[in-house]
Amino acid sequence: MEENKTTEENIIKPREKFKFNYDKYYKLMLLIPIIILLASLIYLGVFYSKTGDFIYKDVSLSGGTSITINGEIDQQLLNLGLQQKFPDISFTKLEDIATGKEIALIVESSASSEELKTEIENILGYKLTEENSSIEFTGAALSQEFYKQLITALIISFILMSIVIFILFRTLIPATAVIFAVFADIVMPLALIDILGIKLSAAGIAAFLMLIGYSVDTDILLTSRVLKTKEESVNTRIFKAFKTGFFMNITALAAVLPAFFIITGLPDSFRQIFLILAIGLFADILNTWLTNASIIKWYCEKKGIQ
Amino acid sequence: MRLGLRIWILIIALILALLSIAPWKALENGVLIRSIEVNSTEFNQGLRQGQIINTIDGKEVKNLQDFSDIINKKNFSTGIIKTIISTDQGEFILFSNKTPEFTISKIPTSNIKTGLDLSGGSRALVKAQEKDLSSSEINDLISVVSNRLNVYGIVDVQISPVRDLSGNNFMMVEIAGATPADLKNLISQQGKFEAKIGNQTVFVGGQDKDITSVCRGDPTCAVVETCQQSGEGYSCTFRFSIYLSEDAAKRHAEITKTLSVNTTQQGRYLNESLDLYLDDQLVDTLLISEDLKGRITTQVSISGPGSGTTNEEAFNDAEENMHKLQTILITGSLPYKLEIVKLDTISPNLGKEFTRNIILLGLVVFLIISITLFIKYGRIKLTLSVILTMFSEAVLTLGVAAMISWNLDAPSIAGIIAGMGTGVNDQIVIIEESVSNKHINLRERIKRALFIILGAFFTIIAAMLPLFWAGAGMLKGFALTTIIGVTVGILITRPAFAEIIRRMEE
Repeated sequence: MEENKTTEENIIKPREKFKFNYDKYYKLMLLIPIIILLASLIYLGVFYSKTGDFIYKDVSLSGGTSITINGEIDQQLLNLGLQQKFPDISFTKLEDIATGKEIALIVESSASSEELKTEIENILGYKLTEENSSIEFTGAALSQEFYKQLITALIISFILMSIVIFILFRTLIPATAVIFAVFADIVMPLALIDILGIKLSAAGIAAFLMLIGYSVDTDILLTSRVLKTKEESVNTRIFKAFKTGFFMNITALAAVLPAFFIITGLPDSFRQIFLILAIGLFADILNTWLTNASIIKWYCEKKGIQ
Repeated sequence: MRLGLRIWILIIALILALLSIAPWKALENGVLIRSIEVNSTEFNQGLRQGQIINTIDGKEVKNLQDFSDIINKKNFSTGIIKTIISTDQGEFILFSNKTPEFTISKIPTSNIKTGLDLSGGSRALVKAQEKDLSSSEINDLISVVSNRLNVYGIVDVQISPVRDLSGNNFMMVEIAGATPADLKNLISQQGKFEAKIGNQTVFVGGQDKDITSVCRGDPTCAVVETCQQSGEGYSCTFRFSIYLSEDAAKRHAEITKTLSVNTTQQGRYLNESLDLYLDDQLVDTLLISEDLKGRITTQVSISGPGSGTTNEEAFNDAEENMHKLQTILITGSLPYKLEIVKLDTISPNLGKEFTRNIILLGLVVFLIISITLFIKYGRIKLTLSVILTMFSEAVLTLGVAAMISWNLDAPSIAGIIAGMGTGVNDQIVIIEESVSNKHINLRERIKRALFIILGAFFTIIAAMLPLFWAGAGMLKGFALTTIIGVTVGILITRPAFAEIIRRMEE
C-alpha cells in the first residue's frame, strides 16, 4: 500500500509542476508566436517593398514557358547554352521514387514557348516532340489575372472560414482567437517560403487555401474542449486537447511530408502543395498550442470559467 | 455479430463505388471504338463509338496489335469483301471495299478517367483579341471551332466555356492523346478566306456561304503535285477543286466579263488575276484563262505551296497546308480574332511515371500512418480500422469521381490525399473523445467528436469553394476531390467509424 501511494504521487507531481508553470508562464508563451508573426510580417513587408510582391512567382503566375524534357538530360550543358539568351532560366530535376533515376528535367523561363523550344532543340540536337517532352505556356496577362484571382480566392476563403467559426462558437474572443491562429498559420509559411526562395505556382496558392481548412480542426478541438466541457480544470482540458491535437498534427504531417520528400518524381506543382501543407502544419502546432491556447486560457480566467 | 446500420451503409456505398469504378475492366480483352465516321458502312450497320470489339471474322482481338494484324491481312483493294465484327453489343456483318472507317484505342482499365497532365494531350485556353466575349458569343465560337476540329479530323476533343472569378469568358479546348501538329493555328487562326479579282470579292470561305463543296481525300481533284528543288530546299504545290454556289459563280462571270485578255508566253489569260487572301494576307495568285471570261463556272481550282529541306518534308508540308486550307474553306472563318493565352501540350510518356509514383506515394502514406497510429495506441484492431476507413474514403472519392466522369489530374489527386489527411484527423478525434472522459456516456462523447468534425468539415468546404472559379477553374479538381472526400467522410465513413469504435469500446 505504501509503495502504491508513492508511485501515484510521482505520477501526479510532474503534472502539478506543469500546471504551476503553465499558469505562470502562459502569457509569456503567447509572446513566442507573436514575435515570430511580427517578424514574418516585417519580413513580408520588406520583401514587398523590394520586389513589389509578397512572393516569388513561377511561370504559371508570372507568365512564360515550362518545358519538361523526358529522360536523363545534361542540365549543365543546357544551362550553359541557355543562360545568355534567357537570364531567368531555371531547372528542376524529377527523379523516380524507387530507383532514384532521373526521369525528366523541367526548364522554366519567361520566354515564349517557340523561342525556348528552338534554343533547347539546337543545344540537344534533336526535336522536342510530344513523345519526349511536355510544353506548358501561360501568357503574361493571363497569369497576372490568375494570380489576382487566386489571391481574391484566398481572401474569400478566409472570410468564409471566419463566418463558419463565428457560427460555431458564437462568442467574440474565442472565435477571434481561432481566426487569428489561422491567420498566423498562413503568414508564417508565406514568410518561410520567401526566405527559402521558393517560386510559388498556382497550385501552391491553392495549398494556402487548403491550409485554412487543414489548420482549423485542432483549433476547433481546443476551443470546444475548453468551452463546451466542464468536467475537469481548464488546464487539464487544454492539456488533454493538446495530447489529442498534437497527435493529429503529427499524423497529418506523416501524410504530407513523404509526399514532398520521398516523391521527387512528380510535377513540381504537386509537390509544392505538400511542402506548404507541411510548413503550415508546423506553424499550426505553434499557433494552436501557444497562441490559441494562451488566449483561450486568458479568456477563461477573465470570465471566471472553471 | 449484427452489423449496425451505419456500417451497412458504408459497405453498400463501397460496393456502389466499386461498381462505378469497375476495376475489373482491366481483365477484359478487346479494343474500343474511339470514333467512327458518320454514314460510313460500319456506322450504317450499327457500329458505334464506345463499343468494344472482341473478334473479327472469328479471330480473337485482344489488343491493338491483333486488330491491325487481322485488318492488314484482309485485302480490301481486291473488291467488296465480307467482315464479321463481334462486339460487346452484338455482331455486325459488313460488306465493303474500304478499310474500316473508325479509330480504335485500348479499352480503359477502369471507369476512372485521368486528366491531361497524367494521360497526355493538349489544352488551350483561348480568348478573343481586344474584346470581352459574352457567354452566348463564346458558345457561337465553340460551335465553329468544334466544327473546324471535327472537319480536320480530331476526334477526342472537348471544348467548353470557362468563366473565371472576374467574369472573363474563355474557351477551353482539351484534346486527349496525340497533339495535332500546328494545333495553335488550327484553333486560333481566324481563317477569313477571300478570293478577289482586283478589289472585288468573288467568293469567301465557308460551306454555308459561297462554297457548296470542297474536294478532299479524292486524288482526282485534290493532289500534291510538282515538287522541285528550289534554292537550298524543296517546294511542292498542292491543288484541289472547290465548287461555288450559283450566286458566287454569277459574280465571277460578272466581274470577268469586263476584263481584257493578255497574251503571255504561257498562254492567253485575263489581265487581272484571282487573288486568294487568308486573314487579309495574299496567299496565292491564280491566272484566269481566257475561256473563263464572263462564264458562269462553279468549279474553281485552288492551289498553294509547301516547302521543306527534303523532298519528303516539302510534300508533307504541302499536304498539311492543303488539309488546313480545305478545313478553313469548309468551316468558314471564326467570328473573332482569337488569342491563345495558355497552351499546354503534355507528353503521354511521363504520365505513366507519375501514376506509378502516385500509387507508391499512397502506399507510403498508408504505411507511415499505420506505424504512427500503432505506436500511439498499440492496438492492431484500432489501427486497422483507421486504415480501412481511410482506404474506404479514397475508394468512395474515386467512385464519385468515376460516376461524374471527372478527369483526375494532378491537383485532383493532391486533393484526394489532402482529404485523406483530414479524414485521419477526424478519426483520431473520434478515438480520443471515446476513450477519454469515461465518466460521461459514450454517446455524448461521440456527439462531441462529431461537433468538432462538423466544424472542420464546414471550414474546409468554405475554404475550398472559391477555387471552383479562380484562375479559370484550372485548380477546380483540387477543390472538388477535397470536397468529395470530406463529404463522403462526414456522411458515410465517419458515422461508420464511430460505430466501429463504439462497438470496440463497449
